[in-house]
Order: sequence, then C-alpha cells, then structure tokens
Amino acid sequence: MTHAHHDDRGFVRRYIFSTDHKVIGIQYIITGLVMALVGAALASLIRLQLGWPDQAWPLLSKLLPAGYQGGVMLPEFYLAVVTMHGTIMVFFFISFVLVSGFGNYLVPLQCGANDMAFPFLNMLSYWIAFLSTVVLMLSFFVVGGAAAAGWTAYPPLSAIAAAVPGSAMGQSLWLLAMALFIASFTMSGLNIVATVLSVRAPGLSMMRLPLTVWSYFIASILGLLAFPPLTAAAVMLLFDRHLGTSFFLPSGLVVANKLLTNTGGSPLLWQHLFWFLGHPEVYVLILPALGIASDIIPAFTRKPVFGYRMSVYCLWAVGSLSMIVWGHHMFVSGMSPFTGEYFSLVTLTITVPMTIFGVNMLASLWGAKLDLKSPMMWVCGVIALFGSGGLGGLFLGNATADMQLHDTYFVVGHFHMMIGGVTLFGTFAAIYFWFPKMFGKMMNETLGKLHFWLTFAPFFTLFFMQHFLGIQGAPRRYYAFTAFDYLQKTRGQNLVISLAAFLLVSAQGVFLVNFVWSLVKGRVAAANPWRATTLEWTVPSPPPHGNFETLPNVTRWPYEYGVPAPDGDFATQDVPAASVPVTA
Amino acid sequence: MSANAAALDAVAVREDQLKLGLWMFLGTVTMLFAAFTSAYIVRRSGSDWRHVALPSILWLNSLVLAVSSVAVEIASLRGARGGWRTSAIAMLVACALGILFLTGQVAAWKQMVAAGVYLPTSPHSSFFFMLTGAHALHVIAALAVLGWGAVATVAGARDLRAWTSRMSLCRTFWHYLGGVWLFLFALVSLY
Repeated sequence: MTHAHHDDRGFVRRYIFSTDHKVIGIQYIITGLVMALVGAALASLIRLQLGWPDQAWPLLSKLLPAGYQGGVMLPEFYLAVVTMHGTIMVFFFISFVLVSGFGNYLVPLQCGANDMAFPFLNMLSYWIAFLSTVVLMLSFFVVGGAAAAGWTAYPPLSAIAAAVPGSAMGQSLWLLAMALFIASFTMSGLNIVATVLSVRAPGLSMMRLPLTVWSYFIASILGLLAFPPLTAAAVMLLFDRHLGTSFFLPSGLVVANKLLTNTGGSPLLWQHLFWFLGHPEVYVLILPALGIASDIIPAFTRKPVFGYRMSVYCLWAVGSLSMIVWGHHMFVSGMSPFTGEYFSLVTLTITVPMTIFGVNMLASLWGAKLDLKSPMMWVCGVIALFGSGGLGGLFLGNATADMQLHDTYFVVGHFHMMIGGVTLFGTFAAIYFWFPKMFGKMMNETLGKLHFWLTFAPFFTLFFMQHFLGIQGAPRRYYAFTAFDYLQKTRGQNLVISLAAFLLVSAQGVFLVNFVWSLVKGRVAAANPWRATTLEWTVPSPPPHGNFETLPNVTRWPYEYGVPAPDGDFATQDVPAASVPVTA
Repeated sequence: MSANAAALDAVAVREDQLKLGLWMFLGTVTMLFAAFTSAYIVRRSGSDWRHVALPSILWLNSLVLAVSSVAVEIASLRGARGGWRTSAIAMLVACALGILFLTGQVAAWKQMVAAGVYLPTSPHSSFFFMLTGAHALHVIAALAVLGWGAVATVAGARDLRAWTSRMSLCRTFWHYLGGVWLFLFALVSLY
C-alpha cells in the first residue's frame, strides 16, 4: 500500500490550511514559541517589580502607559500581568508546544500511520486554538486591560466586573479564549486517542508503543475527561457575570461601596470544578515531558530504557490517581479534616508511581557511557528538576504542612520546577532531538549546550530560592513586600531571583539564534542522525506528505539497543526479525 | 494536484474510527453534564434554594423525544430489510420530532418567563434554563447528524454497509441525548 506522495498542493493548502499532522504540529510549536516570548516578557515585568519595588522606570511608562504611572507599576496592572503570564505559559505555551505540537508531530509517525485519524478535525483544532490566542491577546487592549483574577480565575474577583479593572471586558475575553482553547484541545486529544487506537501500523501492539506515545495517549484521555467540567464552570461564571445568576457569588458582597443582590452562591464550587481540571492538567503537561525524556535517553546511552512495562503501568496509575486528588489545592478552604486526610492520602500515593517512573529514568542511565549531546543534556535537566521539584510536592500534598505553605512562594517555586521546569526542559529536549527530523537540518551543538547551561543554572537558582522565600512566609501574587517588616530581610533574595530571571530570559536569545541559524545554515540531517529506533527515524528528514512509502511492519519493541546489527548496535522497529534478533 | 495527494487530502475516515470518535465525544459530553450535575447538587444545599414550578409541557416534550428515538429505530430496521420508503419516512419523522422537541423546549421557557420565572429568579431556575439550554445545543448538533442519516436514507442507500454505519452513528447520538434528557428532567423535577 503506497502512502507517501509527490506533493504538489498549493502554498495555502500545504502550509496554512493543511491537514498534514506534521505541518499542524509545527504550526502549534511556532505559535506556542511566540506566546512563550509574550509570557517571558510578562515574567520580566513581574521580576522587575519584585526585585526593585521602589524603582521608577520612565521608559516603561512610555511603552505601557496604562500599566505604569510616573514610571511605577500600578498594582492592578501587576495582577493582570501575573494572570496573563500564568495563563499563557500553561495553556498557550506548554500545552501548545509540548502537548498539541509534538503530540501532533510525533504520534502518527511513531504509530507508523500516514496521518491522524481525523485530519480535518486536526486542522480545525489548530485554527480554533489560533483564534483563542488572538482573543486572549486582544484582551490586553480592551478597557480595563487583561484579566486580573489569576490563572485560576477565582470568583468573586473574576465574577464581578467592578472588582478590579481586569475583571471587566478582559475577564470576559479570557473566558472566551479559554472556551475556544478547551474546544480545540478536546478535538486534539480526541484525535490523538483515536489515532493510537485505530491507525497503528501492523505489528505495533500497544505494548510495543514508545513511551512518548503512551504518555500522549494517557495525557489525552485525561484532557478529554478533565476539561469538560471547566467548560461547565466557565459557562456558569459567564452567567454570573452577565446574566445575573448566583452560582458562585455569595450573599452580602459589597463591591465599590455597593451591596450586590446575589445570594447563596458558592465560590468554593468554582474551585472544585477548576481544580478537577487543574490537577489532571498538570499531568497532561508533565507526562509527555517524561515520555519524551524516556525515549531520548536510550539514543544516548545505547541501551534500552529500564522497566518499560512498569513505566507504562505507572503512567496509567498516575493518570488514574490524578483525577481524584484535586482537593489538595484547597486544604485551606475550610474543608473537613477527614476530606483533607483523604486528599493527602491519595496525593501522597501518587508519588509512588511517579517515583518509580523517575527511578526508571535514573536506572536507564545506570552503567551507560553517556553521550552528552544537547538533547541528552536537556533530559538530564528534566530528571534533575523532576527529582528536586517533586520533593516539594511531598510537603504541599500533606494537609498539615500545606496549611503553612499555601499561597506562599513555596508553591510558586514547586510548580515552576514541575509544570514549568520539567515541561520546559522536556520541550527543549524534544526540539533539539526532533529538529533534524522536522526541518532536515541539525541544530548547532555548541549553542545547544550553551543554551542548556545558561537556562539550567538561573532556572534552578530562581525557583529553588523561591521555596525558601515561601518558608519565610512570603505570599504569592503580592505586588510588593515593602510594607511587611518580617519580609524586609528577603529583599536581597528577591534581587538575586530577579537577576536569575533576567539571565534565564536572555539565555533564550541563544536558542532563537540557534533555531533560525540552523534552519538556514544548519548541517543537513540524515534520516536517522541519532541512530534511534522508533518509526519516525525510518523515513527521510523531513518526512514526505503521507510519511511512509509503505506502511511499516513492526517486529519489535521501541528500545532495541545494544544488539548486534548490520547498522551498528540498534535496530529500528521495522527491521525484520530475521535480520536482527527480537529481544522484546 | 496529483491523484495520490488528492486521495490523501480527501480525508477518508474509516467507519470504526467515526464510531470511536463519537463515543469519545459522548464521553466528554457525559463529563460536561456530570459537572453540571455535581454543581447542581452542591448548589442545592444553599440556604436560598427555592424550587420553581416547571411547565407541564416538558412531559409532552419528553414523549416527543422518545417517539423520535423509536422512529430512528424503525428507520434503521426497515432500511436494513430494503424498505427504503418506510425507512425514509421514519427518518423524516424523527427529524421533525427533534425540531418539535426543540420548539417545545422554547415553549417551556416562554411559559416560565410568562409566569415570572427568569434565569436569575432562583438557583433552581438558573439551573433549569442552563441545563435545558446546554442540552438543546447538543440536540441541534445531533439533528445535523440525523439529517445526514436522513439524506442517505431518502436517497435510498446503494452501499448498505456505509448506510448501516451512518445510521449506527445517528442512533447512538440520538438515543444518548434522549437518555441525557430523561436524566436532566428527573434531576430538575425530583431533586
């Protein structure tokens, strides 16, 4: 059966309204990287304020007149910046690049398929995602500015237009953008699950799938189950905002010296619905990073991953448990101590499969002669951040400890290391590893390593230190700490954190230079430059429209390394058993 | 465009994939209504909860939806035995009843408004309007699918297997929404 084709579609069909999963994947990646620049710029504004809270910045007053007066940032603008930074980084950077981008690009290729199960739906999902991005960005320019109720959009702040300037039109656009994002993400997740279940190549049983595909499969199932409740919550919030209902608004609220007529609503109801999505979302983001890391490791250790089956079972266990732990975000909401105990117990239980997965990654390095090329260095970063960041989760998952640490910078440090760091480093690992496949060019190794160290050192400094700020009682989302005597001694720490943040943001310039330079001048990549085993490496770089000339016949698992083979010490998944013995 | 590329871009989706896709979609819809239901249960415990009288036309609407499901089944059974004329009539009746159901739901809303019960009147009325509205939006989507099945049936299917597969999607989606309606009606009436 012939699938790969001479491609004579026009420019628009080929690169803009394409149904090719690879083009759509790259569209998601480029959109996400552009949004990352916006998110990073917002992070810089946050750190500028927290590092130098008394300083005036006249230039910023000229650039952002609505947010700065006399060179000093307005507190309500700070809230909007924090909100949009979180929203953009979680939903419009990591979700776009790592989940939808690489998920689209890799899943059909690694499944030996010529495209996604529903290519048209796939195209639709990208363009709805693009529309949601436009709506979100427009919210910066409306009266009152962008949403300011935090990326968690807790009511009443998010429900009452008069609460803060960002709660007016900005919050409505935020909700609209999220509704579009959810619709798009649901289409994308549905496509990934259907692709894995229905268009795998002959011989590719589920237990022969690479861990990357497994992680996308489980993350997509989580997304399909967890996002609809947020849709329901968003609808109710919009009703509260515009149609006078009281789903989330309690009695007796006074805003701008005016008593609101709402009665009996429950702000905690929003929190439950939000975190029913919010916690699985953490795993929707982090599992692909772990799956990708697990697949990159063997290419640079030249031996199979350790404990493949157990890792698959752990992904399932983590996915299942992630649906029943959301209450650990709400230990201080007045929940019953018994409920708190339950959420503590299941949250700490989730560390068991996560730790097994982490130890499997470590054990995969054991005894190997590491070839520290840039993708592998980023994977080492994933493991380091997963271990150290995960440790903080033990404290936050325990209700007793969380009471002290809730809403402090300990939480900020923890989640930046996990869903910020593990995913960021996983994203870069993926970019450095699959760039040759995507564009047919190699990235520059020296710049890749420089980028790694200039990212890892400030990243770890920044977010590790934030844990200690939290232990000292520094609350998150505060505009300045100058008014608190007990936090005066943290001024220096905030300065160092800000300097680290600027170094971190600046270092991404190295990546951008490398990305563009490699696209133009990079060394031409072979079909399989890393001598890896999964199916995408059996086709040219970049793969043609339709991927495979003939559908591959899969004979083995994806980690056939360290075997005597004509091409060296590995066999791709489609090498006949007669040529190289099958080990699993 | 070459014939090969044109074939690839024609986006041929297999029947089993469509069925899988539909079931996954219904899974997400189930989670959506499950979330609404849990919100209903939580909000129900509020001190300001006040039940509003629901219009009796809802019983008639429920009957209309049930009969439309029966019509889809008749269309499916008759078509499979070559009775295309009966099958086509049954599908058109099912579509008409679907539209009648929606019209009946709008009539129910109007009756409530005429009785002075609006969206913000009480948490119960808020949920009633929201749940029936969300359900109606899904019914509109399902009506489009039902119309897709009706077109194939009226044309007299040449490929029986493809027609059966299309009808299977219509039946699943339509009966599912019938089930969701019965659940929602019971929820807002009894709890």
